[in-house]
Amino acid sequence: MKNLEELKKIRERVRKDLELRTGKHRIKIVVCLGTCGIAAGARETMNALIDLIAENDRSDTIVTTAGCAGFCEQEPMIQVYMEDKEPVVYGKVDPKAAKEIFEKHILKGEIVEKYLFSKGK
Amino acid sequence: MKDLADHLFDILENSVKAEATEVKITLGIRDKLFFCKIEDNGNGIKDEDVTDPFVTSRKTRRVGLGLPLLKRAVESTGGSLKIYNSEKKGVILEFKIDIAHIDAKPFGDIARTFIDVIYSWPKVSFDIFFQMEGNKKVSIFSSKEIRKIVSDFDIQQKEVRDFIYDSIDEELKKMGIDSQFGID
Repeated sequence: MKNLEELKKIRERVRKDLELRTGKHRIKIVVCLGTCGIAAGARETMNALIDLIAENDRSDTIVTTAGCAGFCEQEPMIQVYMEDKEPVVYGKVDPKAAKEIFEKHILKGEIVEKYLFSKGK
Repeated sequence: MKDLADHLFDILENSVKAEATEVKITLGIRDKLFFCKIEDNGNGIKDEDVTDPFVTSRKTRRVGLGLPLLKRAVESTGGSLKIYNSEKKGVILEFKIDIAHIDAKPFGDIARTFIDVIYSWPKVSFDIFFQMEGNKKVSIFSSKEIRKIVSDFDIQQKEVRDFIYDSIDEELKKMGIDSQFGID
């Protein structure tokens, strides 16, 4: 890859911006990216969530990935972990559903029943 | 799997699951034939047919569809797929696809696959090469190189991701790997 110098400059700028905010992650969203998830379009869901976090400037929220959870017919699945709350699992989360879940659950703390798969461990 | 980019991500996940720390990906196009070679230093495969859907290492289900699906996608164009343990540690997977064939899947967003890969598994190093005519290899991307500059935290930032994405995409386009229908 070329332009490594430019990448360094972008990194410095981004880091400076971030210093102004808290860097602690309080919300974790896990996207299941097994073969079943990928085939169902989970990479689009993941990228939609990453974009939503950036657009809404939520440095406290992070997206990570996991393998197949064993409920392939429910893919794309995501799990939402919030500090001091029970984990929530959603099924059939396409980019549109991801937006709705992000706006209601992540931003307001309201669970979106429409896509709810399970609550708790 | 709607395109080759999805297959590629899926297959790279196999290397990660096999505890590989280094994965080398070589891409090339010659006479409308797209070829891809993936070499990892993971645990390797047992002596069984891993392209059989009922052979899997996973615990959640007794089927594994990643390789069988890729095999079908490849063979439906008259192409071929080989997977074998390398002489050193790890696995080598090679496949060839006739991208001019009516049943060939579109490439899809290959650059996005690589971004998703380095984002998902920051501890694994991925190197991408393009093989030109006459076996000359050109490096397109090295995650080790990127990792020297950006941390896990930086890569979550949109501006950083977008920059890396654009650089990889530009390189791939120069090589003739364009997102929708392969080559023009």
